[in-house]
Amino acid sequence: MIRALIIDDEQHAREELEHLIAETGAFEVLGSCANAIDALRRIRTEKPELLFLDIEMPVLNGFELLAMIEDELMPHVVFVTAYNEHALKAFEEKTLDYLLKPVSPERLLKTVNKVREAIRRGELPRYQVESLRHVPCQFANRIKLVPVADVEYVFSDLTGIHLVTAEGQFFTELTLKVLEERTSLLRCQRQYLVNSEMIDEIRLLDNGLAEIKTRLGNTLPVSRRYLRQLKVHLDL
Amino acid sequence: MSLIFQLFQQTAVIIVIAYLFSKSPAMDCLSGGRLQRRQWLLLYIVFSSFSILGTYTGLPIQGAIANTRAIGAVLAGLIGGPILGLSVGLTAGLHRFSLGGFTAFSCGVSTTVEGLIGGLVYLYLVRRKKPEQLFHPFVAFSATLIAEVLQMSIILLLARPFGDAVALVKVIAVPMICANSIGAALFISMVRDQKRVRDKVGARFSAKAFSVADRTLGILSRGFSPETAREMAEVIRQETGVGAVAITDREEILAFSGIGDDHHHAGNPVVTKWSRQALRENKVVFVDGYDEHFQCPLSNNCPLGSALVVPLQLDQDVVGTISLYEPKTKLFLNINRSFGEGLATIFSHQLLRSRFEEQKSLLNQSELKLLQAQVNPHFLFNTLNTIMAVVRKDADQARELLLQLSNFFRTNLKREGNLVTLREELAHIGSYLEIEKARFGERLTVDQEIDPMLLDLKIPIFTLQPLIENAIKHGIADLLDQGQIWVRAYRQQGVVVIEVEDNAGSYCKPIDGQGLGMRLVDQRIKNVYGSEFGLTVDCEPQQKTLVQVKLPLRDDK
Repeated sequence: MIRALIIDDEQHAREELEHLIAETGAFEVLGSCANAIDALRRIRTEKPELLFLDIEMPVLNGFELLAMIEDELMPHVVFVTAYNEHALKAFEEKTLDYLLKPVSPERLLKTVNKVREAIRRGELPRYQVESLRHVPCQFANRIKLVPVADVEYVFSDLTGIHLVTAEGQFFTELTLKVLEERTSLLRCQRQYLVNSEMIDEIRLLDNGLAEIKTRLGNTLPVSRRYLRQLKVHLDL
Repeated sequence: MSLIFQLFQQTAVIIVIAYLFSKSPAMDCLSGGRLQRRQWLLLYIVFSSFSILGTYTGLPIQGAIANTRAIGAVLAGLIGGPILGLSVGLTAGLHRFSLGGFTAFSCGVSTTVEGLIGGLVYLYLVRRKKPEQLFHPFVAFSATLIAEVLQMSIILLLARPFGDAVALVKVIAVPMICANSIGAALFISMVRDQKRVRDKVGARFSAKAFSVADRTLGILSRGFSPETAREMAEVIRQETGVGAVAITDREEILAFSGIGDDHHHAGNPVVTKWSRQALRENKVVFVDGYDEHFQCPLSNNCPLGSALVVPLQLDQDVVGTISLYEPKTKLFLNINRSFGEGLATIFSHQLLRSRFEEQKSLLNQSELKLLQAQVNPHFLFNTLNTIMAVVRKDADQARELLLQLSNFFRTNLKREGNLVTLREELAHIGSYLEIEKARFGERLTVDQEIDPMLLDLKIPIFTLQPLIENAIKHGIADLLDQGQIWVRAYRQQGVVVIEVEDNAGSYCKPIDGQGLGMRLVDQRIKNVYGSEFGLTVDCEPQQKTLVQVKLPLRDDK
């Protein structure tokens, strides 16, 4: 049984797909998600092998969701879409397969075979993900997209990952690692990323450590390990 | 006393010559303002001749000559400035000097001085910014009077023996002062009248040209067709007063108006060799009626005798001709000839313009079609997918959805024309909204508040659909929680407001930055009702997007 997660913002579409998938008998459906943020949580907790992923979803579309998933958690992906133009793009992204809505059971069987084959060969899903221009943050009952350029720094604590901007702090589901890899933010300490555009000065301390003073007046720690990388990045 | 009459006779001769001169092209120099070298030279020769002629036609008297030499010199200064006055005065003075007599020297000097006086008056008036006064007869009269008085003084001062000079001046002073002053005044008044006539003709001609252009361009902007051609031919004939006007395309006569319309009919093929030549060679063909006679190919009794055929161009191609005809009994005026040519140029520009407009409107239409085609596949497949899911649980709802879908596509496909009632437009988007409500489930609610008085209001077709689609696509579909759409129609200060509001507020752009569909709706309304109507977008990010359509409340709804 292939452990699969369905992601689609439309209830009817999710139900229909659940139904069709159940009929093949090849999948264990871990759940259905109505949006990308919910999906990201479920991927982290359930670690599915396969996503049935709708492309057009509110706030964050399917491609953007892929860009938010850490490499080691990346499942195989089958896009499910009503749009042909995106189907082409999905193909370029080297997705495993794509299905057009409304989905026919016969076509779904082909997908099942493809997925089984890929898993049997032990292929690791590697999608060419786009870099993130916005960081999705939880904000009241909405998802706020914070432009990377607006971010001053990011830090993690016991409660999770926080973005600091001139407007205030925002909580994000993304990990520091994803943010470091998929945005222009630079790591300056194990728990901190900084936007190099926001650095006002770097003060070198006695013990090989350093401090960053940001343009907004905040002070961030710089560890010995990341100071070197930071210098390389900033051509110091 | 007889001397004064004799001098007037001399003056009359000069005036006659001046009259002929005023009819000649050299007259153009006298329009006032700065002179070019050639004009200056021409005036110098003309006025020197006048002046010398004044000496020759003079009457020998007491060893001197009573004359009208002063007119040429003073007027040269008055019209051409001090240098011209001095030059003419000196030339005529030297000439007088060469003739001898006891006043030879004094007359030579005085003529030069007279030219200078004309020039000084010129300088005075130009500096006082009153150059138009130069052509005033009174100014010419006064200047010549002063000049002649001065001449008499110079004769008394320079001519010897003094006794002879006094005797001479006694006899010639009054006649010469009178004759010269009046002569100069007459001359200048003639020049002035001639100038006025020319200005008036020019003004009338321009007024006529503008009037024709104004009347015909409006007609032509409706396109180049037999109907507009007929109206245009009529206007051109009325305004120019030519015998007949014909407008053709490349093949046949579109319109004919005027003499000979008993056998020249719209719909006849273009047969005359001149029209064919104009069409073929893209050039103006003129049959003047003298060297070449217009030969009507249809009737030997045709009264038309001369013709001007001007090609009409569109881009580089000749698309037709405009022909002006005069009957055999009438001269083809040059004025009408240049007029016809100018008119054809204007028309060619207008044709290019209306083709541009036409293509623009075609483009608009195809954009509209494209828009319909673009939106529908997405909508269709998503709807089919929804129905497939619904059919498993609720066959009745599925059937209902299929009905709505058929309704939507049927009205979408058969919609034609430009205006529909608000009721029809609401029914159309109603089907669309029902389907979307099923698709989004609890995520979408729609409220309508429509003033029932407005249901029969005619509005441009497809006004609401792009607004609703936008609210769904960029609003509700992008919202994680409950989406709400309001559709309202009400009257406000004599204006009809139809608005679509959503609670997403995720598409905050002014109308120019909106999608093609919204811009087209705005453009079409502005085209039909004027720029005070159309679309406005009001947006509070994350709160609401409100799109308002303003339309006139018309009585003929």
